[in-house]
Amino acid sequence: MDAFFAPFLNDIRTLAFPSLFNIYFALASIPVGFLLAIGLAVAKNSRNPFIWRPAAGYIYAFRGSPLFIQLFMVYSFMLSLNLTVWKPMGIDWLVLHPLFLGPLVLTLNTTAYSAEIFFGGLKTVNKGEIEAARAYGLSRYRTFRSVTWPNMIRIAWPAYTNEVVFLFQATALVYFTLPVIDEQKDLMNKASELFEGDYNAFLHFSVAALYFLVISLGVFYVFGLIYKRMMRHMVPTTPKPRIRYAPKFLR
Amino acid sequence: MKKLMIAAAAMAALTFGAQAADTIRIASEGAYAPFNYVDDNGKLAGYEIELGNLLCEKAGLTCEFVQNEWDSMIPNLLAGNYDAIMAGMSITEERLQTISFSDDYYPPESSLFVVPTGGTVNFDELKGYKIGVQGGTIQAAYAEDNFGADNTILSYTTADQSIADLAAGNVDVVLADGGYIKPIASSDGSGLEVVGPALSIGGGIGVGLRKEDTDLKAKFDAVIKSMKDDGSLNEMIKTWFDDPILF
Amino acid sequence: MPDWLQSLLGENLSFWLGYITNGKHLAFYGAFQFNLGAAVLGSVFALMCGLGGAMLLRSRFAITRTIGFVYTNIVRGVPDVLFFLFFPLALEQSVEWVWAQRVCTAEDFVASVGRWPPCTDANWYLSTPEYFLLACVSLGIVYGAFAANVISGAMNAVPAGQLEAARAYGMSHAQVMWRIHIRQMWIYALPGLSNVWMLLIKATSLLSLLQIQDIVFFAERLGAPNYLPRVGLVHPDWRWIYYLVLFLFYILITYLSEQGFAWLRRRAGRGLITAEG
Repeated sequence: MDAFFAPFLNDIRTLAFPSLFNIYFALASIPVGFLLAIGLAVAKNSRNPFIWRPAAGYIYAFRGSPLFIQLFMVYSFMLSLNLTVWKPMGIDWLVLHPLFLGPLVLTLNTTAYSAEIFFGGLKTVNKGEIEAARAYGLSRYRTFRSVTWPNMIRIAWPAYTNEVVFLFQATALVYFTLPVIDEQKDLMNKASELFEGDYNAFLHFSVAALYFLVISLGVFYVFGLIYKRMMRHMVPTTPKPRIRYAPKFLR
Repeated sequence: MKKLMIAAAAMAALTFGAQAADTIRIASEGAYAPFNYVDDNGKLAGYEIELGNLLCEKAGLTCEFVQNEWDSMIPNLLAGNYDAIMAGMSITEERLQTISFSDDYYPPESSLFVVPTGGTVNFDELKGYKIGVQGGTIQAAYAEDNFGADNTILSYTTADQSIADLAAGNVDVVLADGGYIKPIASSDGSGLEVVGPALSIGGGIGVGLRKEDTDLKAKFDAVIKSMKDDGSLNEMIKTWFDDPILF
Repeated sequence: MPDWLQSLLGENLSFWLGYITNGKHLAFYGAFQFNLGAAVLGSVFALMCGLGGAMLLRSRFAITRTIGFVYTNIVRGVPDVLFFLFFPLALEQSVEWVWAQRVCTAEDFVASVGRWPPCTDANWYLSTPEYFLLACVSLGIVYGAFAANVISGAMNAVPAGQLEAARAYGMSHAQVMWRIHIRQMWIYALPGLSNVWMLLIKATSLLSLLQIQDIVFFAERLGAPNYLPRVGLVHPDWRWIYYLVLFLFYILITYLSEQGFAWLRRRAGRGLITAEG
């Protein structure tokens, strides 16, 4: 039994540090993506075609193409601008660094997906509540702040939770596309490296999968707690939609 | 359903271990000119492709080249997806622990540093530079061991990617095999030049083989030796390399 | 290229036309068959896995329900790329292990620690077609887990009266399932399945990770800078242009898929009263 568990535990130790890179990629892109997505969702909901058309186009393009290609494309595009733009500005060390560029592309990606989720939320916010707020003489900003926004986020939260989990899983793609610097390797990278050492696909990839699974469950738990807090004012008789561990097809 | 499974089993049985008898598959990267590259017709070409076909012809083998990414080159050889590697792979002690090599068909050549023309690197005190290498090469291992502590090493999946990043200024200097990098540095369009010391790391380039395939190794060795003896190997090297190192 | 076309287009244009139709580029265009083929074949497997998974999820026995639950949740809880790399390797190694029990000697097993397979006779040779098939099966298993949930939900949405009526006609359990329940489920499953298809088509960009020379592989190779005239046209780094083309290609495919699904929904919804009328 010990002979079975020892390599397993060993892998759990070896992959602990690489998992931090995946967590970092997710943490660096989700908050920014969240804020941008709200702006983008409001923009798509605008009546001005010069505002909603670009917003809708952006969302369509980044939801309609694979992240894998987005990563390749943005990296090679940024690289082609290096000598003419980034070097003269003196920020080339930053923009081409995988730890910056990875989150950048992930942010571009998650902004589009989250914006679509929030846009869906905006569409379903009860119009009567908004009209009531306007009738009370609340300003447009005030109406958004106190009526539209809290309703939207409550409606969108379960779907947004799924998006966050998806984004976390998508961090596995970053180092397939960007150069690896020194020992900065993520879970997938390290697992493949271990696999090439002894061809034990079952062990190494399972442990990497376990990391992804456990962290995904953690995200569901934390986002579930937040959701519970958001919904705490709801009358208990109305059956409230519950978040549970079920990555949906919403993406 | 059952019929389907039987058919699948029969097919699987056909492909088990059968390949040793007929076609020898040789893997190459196709992104390492002039050793191996994909020409305008979309076909593999280069010194190693011409040589590989000739080796097989002389040894009476039927051969076929397949393309494989560099980083999984050795694992896929061991997994039996092909039988030989001709991909500019230097013979090193470390690789000899997992695979075997034929006699070298390209002599040991120094590894060189290249920079964008006019770029300067202080080789007396190599510190704080971004050094590009192709991952899994002897140059990558050397750079990590010797310069890794004071510099940043960026590893790329193909050698061409490291050159692209060098030309675009994302790395300060690239360390690569002379046979690959000299033609690029000396071409007009690249805007790159060789600087600093030439490092002798690693041996010559040989055909990578599984350790148990001793027959195949003997066949390749015999032909390579005869081609060295009659000078035809040197002649072939001259046709592919402008500034060749000969046996 | 014929002379008349060359003179019509002018030197510059005909040069570029010649360049983007050379053998390398034709091979690139040919590679689209892998990505599109994987999408089609993968979605067939995904539908099969989805139907199977939904049957498991809705089964009468706790054990099969648990299997269905574990399948749909584990697969969706790990990144598709991980499963995509893992499954073909795992299948290959399992088959080789079973085969090795028959053909390898005990000494082979002892001598082969840290090496795979134990002896060359047990080696299962996989080339591009096999890897392609395995990739499609992986896609099917991963997105089948998503489809299973969609289908299971859609089966819940079928009005109970329809099933009761079928039972009242004396149909057996299986007959109700195949003739009524699954037939009627599609209209409710279509929106969800179209989402799964959109995910799947994007996942076909990962084929190059399994050594399949797909469009991503070619974009990287063709766009990489070339400084040697003997290799072909000398050009700097053009990769971003090729990736941009792929980016647009996938957006186009998404657009076409949306149109296709909208048509399908209209067709499947004939005679049904829905929210849209």
